[in-house]
Amino acid sequence: MNSEELIRRLAASAKPVRRLPHPMWRAMMWFMLSLAYAAGLVSVIGLRGDFSVRIAEPRFLIELSAAILTSMMAAAAAFCSTCPGRPLWERLAPFPFLLVWLASLGEGCWRDWTLHGYQGLAIQQEFSCFWKIVATSAAPLVLILVMVRRGAPIAPYLTTGLATLAAASLVAAGMLLFHQQESSVMVLVWQFGSVLVLSGLAALFGRHVLYWRTVDKRSLENQTTPHC
Amino acid sequence: MSTPRDDRARLEREERWRQLMRAAQDGDNAAYAALLSEILPVLRRFVAYRWPSAPDVEDIVQEVLLSVHTVRHTYDPARPFMPWLMTIAMRRTIDAARRRTARNANETTVDIMPETFSGDDAKNEQEISDDQEAIRRALAQLPDGQRQAVELMKVKGLSLLEASAVTGKSVASLKVSVHRGLKTMREVLKRETQ
Repeated sequence: MNSEELIRRLAASAKPVRRLPHPMWRAMMWFMLSLAYAAGLVSVIGLRGDFSVRIAEPRFLIELSAAILTSMMAAAAAFCSTCPGRPLWERLAPFPFLLVWLASLGEGCWRDWTLHGYQGLAIQQEFSCFWKIVATSAAPLVLILVMVRRGAPIAPYLTTGLATLAAASLVAAGMLLFHQQESSVMVLVWQFGSVLVLSGLAALFGRHVLYWRTVDKRSLENQTTPHC
Repeated sequence: MSTPRDDRARLEREERWRQLMRAAQDGDNAAYAALLSEILPVLRRFVAYRWPSAPDVEDIVQEVLLSVHTVRHTYDPARPFMPWLMTIAMRRTIDAARRRTARNANETTVDIMPETFSGDDAKNEQEISDDQEAIRRALAQLPDGQRQAVELMKVKGLSLLEASAVTGKSVASLKVSVHRGLKTMREVLKRETQ
């Protein structure tokens, strides 16, 4: 089939399409739903024992806010990355907040070290933390992946990585509210580290998650071409 | 260097395409056909420029057109059209180049294709005779009904209706006989080759 014939068939079979809402609006939709899920999770499990003490600490507030903002911005960046022609800087939006989150944890590690020496930087094995993040982030992750699949898969690895970062960091923020960690280094390794590892692993499967839909030539002939 | 006239023409074209795409999203097929026809030469130039040695420019252009078609709902009429189009074109050209590289890594180019032995022309008389003898032996092992069905339809080339008229059996029954007969023959031939 030559290109002119293809154009004729595509035009003949084209149906009106519902435009994709603005990426920020879609990100907000996802974030509100996932926030409700995270809030439900926290209410079911219950707040950590020392919550009233920790919430008064500026560092804890910064850590919590940075995790939530990372999630929000990663979601926005993931949705932006499925819209062709949008500026590339939008995809970097979550990283300043990720750095703030890392810096707040780094400051915590420094403080623990000055107070307790090497004892304050002791790392215990707590793989359950990783699996808890995997299990609890599954629902928001599936939701965001379903939503980003409506877009164009122009950067599948990045989009999948950002989507996972959004889901995992929201759950990590939730964990700060119900899961008590002894030291900042434990939070750094088992929560922040899990978020990064999960995002990186998910990004590797980007092409399997987000791919170009093929147009069935037979459906073109029958004038019933589906669209996303 | 572009002149003000070039810039104005480009802006007018951009605005026209934006309007056409908006209309196409709303279901205006004529606008959609006009838009795709107008972007076709642009896409050809783009692909040829980005991948000068591309062996199949037209295939890649068609892939871009199909991609534009499947994600046309992602275009926001408030934003410029060209960056949207060029991002898709770039992505699909890179995908095509990547696919070709992967395929080339697993393929070996040869000057002369190796001979195949599936056709009788490529065989010597002895091999053909051996094959026929084996088939004859396998056919002889079939029950009468199945052998007759296979002989009529696969050896003599009769249609189901013609074979039905000759044997007096129903079409469905003949279908079953041929299927079972061929299956048995295949097993017999497989046993012989082992």
